[in-house]
Amino acid sequence: MKSLFSIVASAAVVLSGGAFAGSSDTKVALVPGGPHPYFAAWEKAGQDAVKDFGLGKADYKVPAEWDLSQQNELIESLVGKGYNAVLVFPGDAVGTNKILGELDDAGIPTAALAGCVEQPTKAKMCFGTDTGHSAYLGTKQLIDAMGGKGKIAHFTGFLVDPNTTLRIKAVEKAVEESGGDVEIIQVIADIDAYEPADEKINAFMAAQGAEVDGIVTTAWVPAVVAAQALTNMGDKRIKMVGIDHDEVVLEAIKAGFVHGTMLQNPYGQGYIGSYAMDKIRGGCTFKANAPWKSTAQTDQFIDSGTVFVDVTDVDNYVDAMRGISLEILKTFEGDFLDC
Amino acid sequence: MATLFKKDWFGLLIVVVVSGLAIAAVKPAFLSSFNLYVLMVSTSYMLIIALAQMIIIAIGQMNLSVGAIGGLVAISFSGLMEVHQISVPVAVLISLVIGMTCGFLNGYITAKSGISAFIITLATLYIFKGINLGITEAEPFYNIPETVKNFGNAKLGNTPIPFLIVIPIIITFLMWVFMNRTETGRHMLAYGNSVQSAELIGISSSKVVITAHVISGFLAATAGILVVCRLQLGTPNIGDSWLLPSFAAPVIGGAILAGGKVDVIATALGVLIVVIISQALVIFKIDPFFVQIFLGVMILLAVLVNRYREYKQEALRKIFNSE
Repeated sequence: MKSLFSIVASAAVVLSGGAFAGSSDTKVALVPGGPHPYFAAWEKAGQDAVKDFGLGKADYKVPAEWDLSQQNELIESLVGKGYNAVLVFPGDAVGTNKILGELDDAGIPTAALAGCVEQPTKAKMCFGTDTGHSAYLGTKQLIDAMGGKGKIAHFTGFLVDPNTTLRIKAVEKAVEESGGDVEIIQVIADIDAYEPADEKINAFMAAQGAEVDGIVTTAWVPAVVAAQALTNMGDKRIKMVGIDHDEVVLEAIKAGFVHGTMLQNPYGQGYIGSYAMDKIRGGCTFKANAPWKSTAQTDQFIDSGTVFVDVTDVDNYVDAMRGISLEILKTFEGDFLDC
Repeated sequence: MATLFKKDWFGLLIVVVVSGLAIAAVKPAFLSSFNLYVLMVSTSYMLIIALAQMIIIAIGQMNLSVGAIGGLVAISFSGLMEVHQISVPVAVLISLVIGMTCGFLNGYITAKSGISAFIITLATLYIFKGINLGITEAEPFYNIPETVKNFGNAKLGNTPIPFLIVIPIIITFLMWVFMNRTETGRHMLAYGNSVQSAELIGISSSKVVITAHVISGFLAATAGILVVCRLQLGTPNIGDSWLLPSFAAPVIGGAILAGGKVDVIATALGVLIVVIISQALVIFKIDPFFVQIFLGVMILLAVLVNRYREYKQEALRKIFNSE
């Protein structure tokens, strides 16, 4: 039996013109898990998708806080307002499936963006960064910058985030491949808030700054705080590879305190995700034999790409992100869709 | 020595000294100039956050919005300087007024409605955080003036003492004077001890509750400004992690959550214990998956040591009284 929400949602889809699906009828809601600067690029991505693909709407809507029920309420209200496709960063890898199922029952296509939901799911795809691969590549870049040997520290995010374990293992894998020339002397996790990150990273620098040769960070806040710490210390001996595109990290790269950063592609996630939702609404389906990747949560994963940026191309990082997106878009329909 | 032993903070002082020496014996880097600097920086804003909660605990209430006020003030302070080009002193003043206004709202609604401060501050937490996110849309303010950045990272001469800790030390002294030497401070403790008795001797409930919340708002605002100085950016996440530490330090310091008993020096030592434990976990390279267990056990040990001292003190008093 359909829930009341599904019935209301179905009515909203019909009223908004969903019965005559076409580009201009597609109204995509891009909903992150909560407020975070990482997702800010989704706004521009949605605007560009409207312009480039002729969608009716592709709006970025942020829940007031990181809370599954608030995210669900926001999605329900957006569907009530006529949005007929939803791209969501799951508030919970399992819990988000409930609302995705209800949306699917109402004929509203959805996809998980930047993070996956656990299968079985009604999400059409999971489109995000292959976090393990990104951490692995970042560590490889760091080891190269260190001349292939030395001691490194790894600063990362929430332990309850399944991606954190993947990142820790990926860094270990890259280090193992050095054949014993590189050693991880410390992993500091659960520092996704600025104050504890500042306290712990600086305590690490004070105690072990002299013996560490490199730092790899695989979460936004630790990257910002570690870049700030190296800048404040005026230390260019310790090499650091960060993640993402916070201004503090980018400035530290320009100033020579950070070797580089592993860019994720939030812009591409929003841009191509909106495009894909429009195609699905237009009648396309995902190919059974599409070149999906598998993760711990899903076997319908598409890598939104990652790229290393250092001082030579930091000024053009937006172009780098756009470049990856266009590359993926070029083959997206042929590789993944039956239209 | 006997007088010192009777002090609420004496047991904690022993814990701080012994744990500091023990860590230094195993890891001499703990007493390095840089580490002492880091320790004092972390202590600086944590101290103000703990005092912001302590004064509300003194009147037998809780302020769940301490972090939300600090966060709102942090983004207001940085936004005023970046977007509106307001000078640093004026931005500081406006930010403190914002913090005190938030505190006044908490206190006024609590006092006039008779509803628990727990519920009122839970509601205002969402309101203050919501305003924060509405203003920033989750994007930090980055263009902080150099004077502010320098203040957040400067040291006093060639010492490891950060400028950042000067203000918290002054505030801690003033808070000690306020709680122990002023009529209003004593009224707060009396009110926290027994609302009915306080009212019977003519203490104004509204005045006590509103004053405590305004001071709490002022302190949360000060902490928010100090964090911006330290981080060199105004991010909407500031304050999100303050709630538990704000309670931990006063409780370690022997505060009674029902009200009527708080100790400023013991709270300050409680902050120091939390910071030392936190640093020790990094220095001893504790596996990240076990950090929280260690942190919890160490805080529990610190509280138990202080309770044991109180128990011994009580036992001694009974012996003397019976003689």
